[in-house]
Amino acid sequence: MTDTVQAGRRKFFDLARPSRQHLLGYILIAPAVLMVAAIIVWPLILAIDLSFQQVKIPRLGGASRPFSVSNYVWLFSSQEFWLACWVTLKLVIVVTAGSVAVGLSTALLVNNRFEGRTVARLGMALPWAVPEIIAVVIFAWMFDTSFGLFGWLAIKLGFTGQMIPWVSSSTAAFWAVAITMVWKGFPFVSIMCLAGLQSIPSDYYAAAKVDGASSFQRFRWITMPLLMPVLGVTLVLTLLWVFRDFSIIKVLTGGGPLRSTQTLSIMTYDQAFQYHNFGRAAAVGVLTLVICIIASLLMLGRRSKSIY
Amino acid sequence: MRRTLAQSLALYATVIFTLVMILFPVYWLLVTALSTTDELYRLPPTFWPDDPQWDVFARVWAAKPILLWLWNSMLAAVGSVALSMLVSVSAGYALSRYSMRGGATMGLFVLTAKMLPATLLVIPLFSIFSSFGLIGSLWTLVLAHSTMIIPFATWMLKGYFDTIPKELEQAAMVDGCSPIGAMVRVVLPIATPGLAATALYAFVLSWADYAYARTFLVNSPDNWTANLGITTMQGEYVTYWNDIAAASVFIALPIIAIYLFLERYLVGGLTAGAEK
Amino acid sequence: MNKRVKRLALGAATAALVTMGSFAPAMADTVLKFISWQTDDAGTGEWWHSAIAEFEKQHPGVKIEFTKAERSSYADTMTTLFAANQPPQIVHLASFEFQMFADSGWLEPLDPWLRKDGIDMTGWAGQKTCEWNGETVCIMTNYFGFVMAYNKKIFDEAGIAVPKTYDEFLAAAKATTKDLNGDGIIDQFGTGHETKGGPGQYLTEMLNYIIDAGAYWTDKEGNITIDTPEMVEGLTRWKTVMKSGVSPVDMSASDVRKLFADGKMAMRLDGPWLYGTTEKGSAKSDIVYVAPPLTPPLGGSSNVLAMPSDIPDDQKQLVWDFIKLTMTAEFQRSYATMGGNTPPSPKADVSGVEKTIPHFPVLLATMKAASEKGIDRVPIGLELYYNEFSKMIMEESQRMIIQDLDPAAVAKTMQAKAESIKG
Repeated sequence: MTDTVQAGRRKFFDLARPSRQHLLGYILIAPAVLMVAAIIVWPLILAIDLSFQQVKIPRLGGASRPFSVSNYVWLFSSQEFWLACWVTLKLVIVVTAGSVAVGLSTALLVNNRFEGRTVARLGMALPWAVPEIIAVVIFAWMFDTSFGLFGWLAIKLGFTGQMIPWVSSSTAAFWAVAITMVWKGFPFVSIMCLAGLQSIPSDYYAAAKVDGASSFQRFRWITMPLLMPVLGVTLVLTLLWVFRDFSIIKVLTGGGPLRSTQTLSIMTYDQAFQYHNFGRAAAVGVLTLVICIIASLLMLGRRSKSIY
Repeated sequence: MRRTLAQSLALYATVIFTLVMILFPVYWLLVTALSTTDELYRLPPTFWPDDPQWDVFARVWAAKPILLWLWNSMLAAVGSVALSMLVSVSAGYALSRYSMRGGATMGLFVLTAKMLPATLLVIPLFSIFSSFGLIGSLWTLVLAHSTMIIPFATWMLKGYFDTIPKELEQAAMVDGCSPIGAMVRVVLPIATPGLAATALYAFVLSWADYAYARTFLVNSPDNWTANLGITTMQGEYVTYWNDIAAASVFIALPIIAIYLFLERYLVGGLTAGAEK
Repeated sequence: MNKRVKRLALGAATAALVTMGSFAPAMADTVLKFISWQTDDAGTGEWWHSAIAEFEKQHPGVKIEFTKAERSSYADTMTTLFAANQPPQIVHLASFEFQMFADSGWLEPLDPWLRKDGIDMTGWAGQKTCEWNGETVCIMTNYFGFVMAYNKKIFDEAGIAVPKTYDEFLAAAKATTKDLNGDGIIDQFGTGHETKGGPGQYLTEMLNYIIDAGAYWTDKEGNITIDTPEMVEGLTRWKTVMKSGVSPVDMSASDVRKLFADGKMAMRLDGPWLYGTTEKGSAKSDIVYVAPPLTPPLGGSSNVLAMPSDIPDDQKQLVWDFIKLTMTAEFQRSYATMGGNTPPSPKADVSGVEKTIPHFPVLLATMKAASEKGIDRVPIGLELYYNEFSKMIMEESQRMIIQDLDPAAVAKTMQAKAESIKG
């Protein structure tokens, strides 16, 4: 199919000529850029525009309201926004750290050679394939305050004397959300780390062994440095996922109690669809985006180039 | 590397323990489906139902158009895979082979796509799609999913193409192949593991979507995807968890099967990309 | 390998194209879209289906496409559809969420339509709620009163009588909350409240106690009346019930009704819809419906029918015909006989309904009692801010319970916050 298109096009420019090669590059990349522009960038521009209007429910195609910074003024002076930032930060740190810890250790585990490794490898990353909406159904049930498995286990294991109120205790709600998110988030880290581990040439380890390096030293001085580029990208992707994720928190706790699990993305949703303040919602969304960009730049630093 | 018996045992014990921990929720889904509602609302929980209700699957299958939902999910996912692969293979190849201006800022561009909450996107997208008369059609999902997939898929494929020596295509072009012919005939066959990994990534992402399906397809029950269909099983007044769990099993099975089949390519496909 | 994969992909893509094409909506008939969360509710869902069938019989060539959208995300769905100018022709909304749409001017004023057909709405239960800025923007489909259902077996085992006041209710709840198997975990509860179903539901659950204490959020003029001794009493009762362990915590609507229906809870204060669940529960034969001990019974408007202002006139006529059909004597009667609901029409003939639904007179009596006192869940003057208001009240109540705060101080905080929400 591509060939016929090409044959037609060659009459206009000879793309095989070195001087035309750049042009071919741009043609090949154009569909991707166009799609992202139409489906991500354009809505983003609309959102930025909305964030500067005092608007309750926008009607698209209708007249826009006058320019106003009142949404941002409200945001910066509201306690709610700063609390949401703090909750998001806590959750991002806990979930990212948890996912990397579990993801990296499972990857190291199945990177060992042993009988049945393929099966183990499949099982370790299986939660990745389970749709979030189904994962949430399972965890909501396991975290049920009255009949949930986790509360019962906590009693049996002697952590507590009574069922844990997963939804009406701030601490418990936060951990219920965090645990669910780690379960859904670590397999991606695991897959990426395993790929990274497999690309490390085994001669490195052999050489280090000859030099008498202990297994911890080999991990510290060979595995970690070589894994860093992959780990960096994975870390940022996980972090962005936590920033953006909505359905896990929405179903498990709805952001409560007392906003202890209300992240920026839950706040965006509430302002838009619960209170019908689309202007404010857009402002929260735009600020979230700014925070995300800064965070990824800081984390990737000079490496941001290495993505491309 | 030879392990002592003790080391082997420790390794197996750790692997099995970890697997049990990780897979337990999936097992619990099955137990929930097979329990009677009376058993569900009882402590201590039953780790295997006394009288497994196997007929729950037949009942749910008969009561809800599960096959139709799965078929729609499959169409949306296959469409998204096809479109996103077509677009990101060309983009990834271009980024790998031609040094282009602005290539570095593309990195941030890729990530930006992962930063926007769906909440912000749905209303503008709804109006775009409705101006093309697409609301209610699975095309909305194919377009929206593909766009979410393309940035990361492009990055994965670019990494994979980087590992394939340029000389291969140059040789093909000397033999009279066009640049695109060289890409299709020479590079793509070698890149099969990378392509399979990307396809799996795309498939999983599309299969998992709920937010877009809910917004764009709510009006057309004939086109409901599995995830959308399952949420409509929640009643306002009462929800039968065992039925929902049974439907969840139906919905999780195809994606798990595809995952099991393609996973071997995933790590392999990413491995090459990780060599930088 | 690659060739095969390519051919497969191509084939799949073509198949997808073809199939998607065939899924395009049929254009032959006039199609009215009708989205609702009640499509498969026992009783009410059947009633809607019967009304649609009758409408289609009367209007050959017109089809109503009746689609379910799940309740918990229903308002989001409708907001998106309206914002993108694609509302369904028949608009079904909860009575606490239509105001935002009416305020944006998206709902057609129905007064001219009512006048044209000479329909008199006097005495139609809850219809006052449908007036927005002096215009009728919807027709109240359902107005209900709360009832109490109790499990006779549990009551007999505990040797207690049916409570008639709040104090007796609390005592009965305490007497029936038990750890039956002795493992230290409570497995039979005195009563149950849905506290996980979102702010609106949380407020409804609280209101039972608050109204009984003689308090309400606002007065008839829309002034906020939270900082009153009656409200402090109401909040104290809510705190007492929630802290005394007689209700399981963090319950979703479904869980709480299921527990009651399966005989794991002694009493439940709920609307008429509870019947649908208890009929399917394992404790079905032990459950008795009575008037609630808390008076006046909590009541309220439930859901409304409306039409969008931006659809063509011929469609408006059809939508109006449908709305009118649901208001006829025949369908008002079947709203009770088939749906098990209390019809809002004052002229509805509900004789004989008690033969199939034995407790129907109780439903009717509580609905009338609530309606006469003008009780509703949505406070006057706060309609547009109801979600924000209810979230605030829920949070302050949770804070009161979690941090063990004094209800009098909490009432003061709520009053101040409610005034600032109203702006």
